Amino acid sequence: MDLTNGFAFICPFKTNSGNKALENLPVELAGLNACKPLIITSRKLAGGSAIGTLKNAFGDSGMTFGVFDEVTETADLNVVEQIRDIFIKGQYDSIIALGGGVIVDVAKIVNLAVSQKVADARQLSTATAIRDPLGPFVVIPTAAATGMETSKYASLHGISFVAVHLMPDLVILDPRLTRAKDGKAVAEAGFAAFGRILEADVAPGKNPLMHAYAFTALRFLRENLAEAVTKRCNKKASLAVANAVAMSGCVISNTDQTVLHRLGKVFQNIVHVHPGMIIGMCLYPFLDDQIKKDRSLLSNLLLTLGGDDKYVFMPEDGRPGAALREIYEFSYEIYAALKGKMPPTIREAGIQQYLMDDVLEVINQEPDGAYLRTIIDRVGGSSIKA
Amino acid sequence: MQEIHAGGKPLKKAYVAIFLWFTGRAIQAAAKVDKEVKKEFDTLPDEFTFALGSLPNGPWMVVGKEKGKVKYFGGNLKCRPIHLRLVIKNIEAAFLILSFQESTALATTRNRLMTDGEVPYALSVIRILDIVEVYLLPKLIASLAVKRYPSWWPFGHKLAGRIGVYTRTLLGI
Repeated sequence: MDLTNGFAFICPFKTNSGNKALENLPVELAGLNACKPLIITSRKLAGGSAIGTLKNAFGDSGMTFGVFDEVTETADLNVVEQIRDIFIKGQYDSIIALGGGVIVDVAKIVNLAVSQKVADARQLSTATAIRDPLGPFVVIPTAAATGMETSKYASLHGISFVAVHLMPDLVILDPRLTRAKDGKAVAEAGFAAFGRILEADVAPGKNPLMHAYAFTALRFLRENLAEAVTKRCNKKASLAVANAVAMSGCVISNTDQTVLHRLGKVFQNIVHVHPGMIIGMCLYPFLDDQIKKDRSLLSNLLLTLGGDDKYVFMPEDGRPGAALREIYEFSYEIYAALKGKMPPTIREAGIQQYLMDDVLEVINQEPDGAYLRTIIDRVGGSSIKA
Repeated sequence: MQEIHAGGKPLKKAYVAIFLWFTGRAIQAAAKVDKEVKKEFDTLPDEFTFALGSLPNGPWMVVGKEKGKVKYFGGNLKCRPIHLRLVIKNIEAAFLILSFQESTALATTRNRLMTDGEVPYALSVIRILDIVEVYLLPKLIASLAVKRYPSWWPFGHKLAGRIGVYTRTLLGI
């Protein structure tokens, strides 16, 4: 790691994790100078019990808060405008997003609209400049998290926003909310985080702070994801996975290497599958290419994923290959635990021909489209075409 | 869309209030019965007052020194100038700590406590609270509440202290 060229790293949010962490919310909001929050969530996506747990966490704080629980998977800027209107009329002063994926994207854009005092949220576009810090924003991820909740990205109906000010001020991870309904959801979130962190960690431009986050998150996933997938009642494992997923948002906000992330996003937007499913498929071909480019970048992964002993006893030359084997074993463990519920190739995912055509069309427009195409081909994307 | 006013947790609040009331009186009693507690209070400045309680609306326990004697001042934070506040962030955390599901040390590492004042004074108060808990609670429960249970105390010392602390606490002397 060459530090002479300098580096920048940003992680503006505080993380509050653990048993009854949610109950700290009133104190933390007071610390952000907020006393009347608006909760943005979805009864269908986040679940009624999660909303109940959050309401209960306000305890005897004496706070008044609003709950908007009608965000849907197809939410667009009209919903953002509707919530912006509620926020202004109700004189709320902060936003709490409960859930993952589209819920947090909507909340980020509402925060942007109310903080920048735009007259109509439907006017917001990719060209909207986000130069100043936004209002107090809290994210409480549930098992439906995708990992992008804590990132600097927000995307809704094809309109994308990128700014560090979109990142939350506070992230609360409570084991009562991180247990998933099924193992597949945990595996998808875990793979999405694993892939994004891994590609940032093997990038030539990584910096030591990002590596510290990546190391911790990858260890959490290596040690806990299989357990969280098979035993969903295991609070310790599901909380460790949730922490890793939250950290992945920070890592992805500090890297330029986003091959797997972009592949996952294209499929998410067009085919409406979880990006983790695609990232899990593309992980091995991507790393295979990396090892051909520069073996040394993968050496340290053995220490992260295999542990101290394996790293010490393996000669320098064998470390990249051993790291790849660790990743293969890790992936195999998860796919085996899911017993066929998660397809390992695009062909087995049953994606329709016309959707695959749309995916390839978008991928071809990317600057490195030809390379992305080779990854898709290697995970069975071409066989659908044939 | 709905607007909600946060409800209360009356049962947990009542438990915490009773516990703090009893502990406050027990500290006053222990300062007269136990030499270690007396020694800890002697190291604190004259008129020193500390409060232990939960955010946002209490309950609180205010204990301090008045004319060289240790006194429990009730639950009103405005009764005297407070030099040290040991604050539990919410009533749920207060219940966890005061129902011995978590020790003070564990609760501190889990970010449930805040100290507003001098840290050396806070450590003295924590040591006093630990001794008082050992007197008030059976060994099984006290072991959960304190970091290290003083198994080196002679049985007679513990028994005599316990009788003294309980009698004075109940009588309020």
